[in-house]
Amino acid sequence: MLFLETTPDTSSYMIAGYAIAFGVMLIYVVSLYIRSRNLNRDLSMLEDMDKNN
Amino acid sequence: MQKKPATLLALDIVSLILLGVSTYLALIFAPTEVIMGQVQRVFYFHVATAWVGMLGFVAAGVSGIVYLRTGDLKWDRVEMAAVEISLVFFFITIVLGSIWARPVWNTWWTWDPRLTTAAITELIYVAYFMLRQGIEDPDRRARFGAVYTLIGAVSVPITFMAIRLFRTIHPVVVGTESAEAQGGFAMTGDMKVAFFFALFAFTVIFIDLFWNRIRMGALADKVEQLKLKVMQ
Amino acid sequence: MAEQTTTAPHQPAKPNYWKAIAAITWKDLAAELRSRELISAMLVFSLLVILIFNFALELDITTRRSVTSGVLWSTFAFAGTLGLNRSMAVEKDRGCLDGLLLAPVDRSAIYFGKVISNLAFMLIVEAIVLPIYSVLYSINLFQPGLLLVILLGSVGYTTVGTLLASMAVQTRTRDVLLPILLFPVVVPILIAAVKASGGYLTGARMDEILPWLNLLIVYDVIFTAISFMVFDYVVEE
Repeated sequence: MLFLETTPDTSSYMIAGYAIAFGVMLIYVVSLYIRSRNLNRDLSMLEDMDKNN
Repeated sequence: MQKKPATLLALDIVSLILLGVSTYLALIFAPTEVIMGQVQRVFYFHVATAWVGMLGFVAAGVSGIVYLRTGDLKWDRVEMAAVEISLVFFFITIVLGSIWARPVWNTWWTWDPRLTTAAITELIYVAYFMLRQGIEDPDRRARFGAVYTLIGAVSVPITFMAIRLFRTIHPVVVGTESAEAQGGFAMTGDMKVAFFFALFAFTVIFIDLFWNRIRMGALADKVEQLKLKVMQ
Repeated sequence: MAEQTTTAPHQPAKPNYWKAIAAITWKDLAAELRSRELISAMLVFSLLVILIFNFALELDITTRRSVTSGVLWSTFAFAGTLGLNRSMAVEKDRGCLDGLLLAPVDRSAIYFGKVISNLAFMLIVEAIVLPIYSVLYSINLFQPGLLLVILLGSVGYTTVGTLLASMAVQTRTRDVLLPILLFPVVVPILIAAVKASGGYLTGARMDEILPWLNLLIVYDVIFTAISFMVFDYVVEE
């Protein structure tokens, strides 16, 4: 392989890569949070219904 | 629902910090690679997320077997959490692999054995969730999930070997012989620091997410049981 | 209840394991002999797939040889899911499965019985497709090596396929689910079978074909063992 005289500027790819990595991880964590919150709401609602039965 | 245990909260914070440090090491501390330029930095997260994917993969296989032997639904929750996390992280791995391939080998996809196997594993995970979706009974759902996890877990290594064999006999047209994903550069000392720290940080992140997800699974099961009881 | 020292109550002798397998296999084959719906469906489907491939791929004389094994195995893989789906759906719908489960036979006998009958159907369809393909494309497909590969590949496909079909048929999504479950897991067979078949068809050296045959055999052994051990969990109530 020929030695390049200058290092190519591939930083846009790097940024895209890290953006996606962080983006996906963030989306996942947020989804965990939202799902947990919904489940907790369901739980308290169901517990109320159960108490009233 | 009980409050989050203090340990878990601490782990959340530690994970975030480690992620930050790892990012710093990868983006700033590590030197720029001469031949590929900045894009090489995705390598640190590419391998680290692949590592998390593998942890999840193994955890899923093991918990599947344990569930079949014990019948304790706790292991089903563990298995689902493992599959989900592995799915997310292998996805990142594959995308990063693709992004890395583009400027270096001028293609969005190399049929590299590791990447291809990761992609097939993703398909198995999706099939796993679709299988579970179609079953009402929790016990049957857990059993089938465990069986499919086992079948998948055994087939994936065989798939990897098959593709690798396929590739040694038919070397890929694209790129040079260093077309193996991790080939093409040698790591200097500072790079190694970033590399191994990323592995360490992501292992902690895996444990944190795993624990959180298992807790959520327990909550989901509780809700489902209560639902059945209340909505007779 | 008073303790009694009596001899054990008379139980009908447990049917011989091999006889049980044979009975299950024969039940399927006999039913198919009468109705022929499974095999005809698989066969017509296979021919249609080959027809589609004919237009989808430019099959000139030279390309044909290298592409034949791929076309054949794609066809078998798709037709195979048809057969597996129908075979297990019939069990479930007619309540045969419940009946079988009540019988005092080891569950694994049911598994092997189904595998053998599913394998038989697949092999019969392949046996009919091969000469037709040979005639259509003037390729001699009746080489012992190729037939061996077809046998090994079909065995691996059916062992895993029967297990997964047993699961799929008990879900809401049923037919649609089987290919989704099966194909990612059966990739090693497809790769090995296509390479080995291609090798035999293009007259490659034995040492090039051998690794693929090995892979097929290893896969067959491993998955037969696993599926047989795990089948119980898939049919218990």
